[in-house]
Amino acid sequence: MIAIKAENISKSYRLGTSGAGRLREDIRYWLKKQPVTASLIWALKDVSFEVKQGEVMGFIGNNGAGKSTLLKIISHIAAPTSGRVLGNGRIASLLEVGSGFHGELTGRENIFLNGSILGMKKREIQASFDEIVAFSGVEQFIDTPVKRYSSGMYMRLAFAVAAHLNPEILIVDEVLAVGDVEFQRKCLGKMKEISDRKGKTVLFVSHNTQALLNLCDQVITLHKGQIIDQGNPADVIGSYLKNLQDDYLHQEYDSPDAAPGNDYIRIKKVSLQYDTALFDIRTPFVVRFECWYTDPDPGKLIAGIHLFNMAGECIFDVASKGDLLQPGVISGECRIPGNFLNDGAYYLSVVFVKDTTTRLFYFEGCLSFNVEDYRENTAWFGKWMGYVRPDFPVILNQQNAI
Amino acid sequence: MENNDAWDWEINSGTKWFQWNLPELWHYKDLLLRFVRRDLIASYQQTLLGPFWVFMQPVLTTLIYYLIFGRIVKISTGGIPPILFYLSGILFWSYFSDCLNGTMYTFLQNANVFSKVYFPRLIVPLSSVISHTVRTGIQLFLFLFIYGYYLVTSNITGTFYVLLTPLLLLITAGFGLGSGLIVSVLTARYRDLDYTLQFLLRLFMFATPVVYPTSIVPEQYRFLFWLNPLTAVIETFRAGFFSNEPIYMLPLLISCAEVLLLLLLGITLFKKQELKVMDVI
Repeated sequence: MIAIKAENISKSYRLGTSGAGRLREDIRYWLKKQPVTASLIWALKDVSFEVKQGEVMGFIGNNGAGKSTLLKIISHIAAPTSGRVLGNGRIASLLEVGSGFHGELTGRENIFLNGSILGMKKREIQASFDEIVAFSGVEQFIDTPVKRYSSGMYMRLAFAVAAHLNPEILIVDEVLAVGDVEFQRKCLGKMKEISDRKGKTVLFVSHNTQALLNLCDQVITLHKGQIIDQGNPADVIGSYLKNLQDDYLHQEYDSPDAAPGNDYIRIKKVSLQYDTALFDIRTPFVVRFECWYTDPDPGKLIAGIHLFNMAGECIFDVASKGDLLQPGVISGECRIPGNFLNDGAYYLSVVFVKDTTTRLFYFEGCLSFNVEDYRENTAWFGKWMGYVRPDFPVILNQQNAI
Repeated sequence: MENNDAWDWEINSGTKWFQWNLPELWHYKDLLLRFVRRDLIASYQQTLLGPFWVFMQPVLTTLIYYLIFGRIVKISTGGIPPILFYLSGILFWSYFSDCLNGTMYTFLQNANVFSKVYFPRLIVPLSSVISHTVRTGIQLFLFLFIYGYYLVTSNITGTFYVLLTPLLLLITAGFGLGSGLIVSVLTARYRDLDYTLQFLLRLFMFATPVVYPTSIVPEQYRFLFWLNPLTAVIETFRAGFFSNEPIYMLPLLISCAEVLLLLLLGITLFKKQELKVMDVI
């Protein structure tokens, strides 16, 4: 049986801010009945798919691919410009947790308020009230206004309500991206429980590819508002990641005139290479670069690589020894072993220095890449801590048995 | 083609005009009451006098009007005890303006929730009107209390037309809700309407017999005057409580018709635009 059927959904937004210009456009539209096409952007174009009952469907795509818009339409929050969605069963969306929480009200009042907003009946909330409170772990503060809660308590209470929803179709958007590690673990565990044991239909948008791989029966890739791939999670996610990375792993210039650099150094090529199909934490990789060295007064040249995570924190700074090189084309490389970086997004910069102190050129953020997660024999899906993730063995020994 | 009836629900581009979906509204009645409760609890949190503000507002306003319009400007109250005269006007006026103000920002104030969760949006303005009805109901007791005092101490009389009071309240609420729904859609799109409307609302109070009786309005303008639904409401209320004369039936019927039309228009516009408006907020 089909739970959700989307038929040719399209959604356009008008660009520009509201104001006098809008009113004029609106009036022109009403008078002539002509749609304003000049400033339209299409967030979704002709998206159709079906989700079977009990299936977990994941959505993946870059920012702006239309994932959120799609979920909003299915959640009945935004209207499609054309097309329709048909469905069977009660639907509940978790596009955020704690919708409608009111700071002045107590935890107890907010459980009922939030529960009702999410579509629960009063008696349903009453029936699972004790469970919700226990799950949230804020028993002592249940009669305190939530504005006095810490943000962690607030989130836990909010999620506790959401976790006790009992819809036939559940829509989840990136809720897992917020909160601490413990909270994410709880969320993912609950999601798994909902899909595995209760046999609910789930639509799930996430950037956490590991979670998608583990939870979904099918994954859809959206790109610029269209479905470009659909199928079993491993294949779809694999090719999605591959496409994603190709854009940022390679830069090459044919002539020094167009190349980035200055009178001393011009970049010919920078690239990041690896041999496997997927770039995960186990994968060793090589950063290669070539440049035109045109310094009229050559000295001891040092090339360095600075690796940053997306928060801008430097993970490492490595450099060559410093060699007396003649002007011409110079190439270099740096090999980074597998089982070294933790999963996450990184970018790197290449720096050229002369005689230890003179910076010739800093090619900032020239390459960026994503290290995917990989886990074996573990039921833990939360974010693994740390900047690096070396495979150092940790060994347990039984000293004696009681 | 598949049969549409086989599906529980359908989401479309919403080009049809009449998709009121009243059964769904009923399904969400728990949420409606929850919102009312929230409004009532939250609005008096961390105030010293708490719920007493429900009384304080009309009482203070009445006293000020009594001083300014009764004692200084000396506008006739048509033989009605001034305190009760002003209180009755203020009661209905503030009920109307609270309903209007409570509903006209529906989209702007709830943009956050509306962009994350679905429930029938109409629940929000309805809950606002209901919580103001509760407040007005309490104020009505205050009125009756003072009225009782005057009934004993002076020679005022009422007729059974006082039984029309629930209808009068209904018309007032309908007027506030109907116009509020229309305005809520418009203010979401064009923000500057907000300032204009607050200004107009202040003027409109003086076009309503709050601080003066309709009888002092020049004859040739009176027809225009009766077109204001609140004129008939307030005049009928005062006539019922303070005179032996029969009430003017025709203006009241016109008011009813106007408010019904406004409500119909408001709900239809609101339902049609409730999702689209969210794109521009």
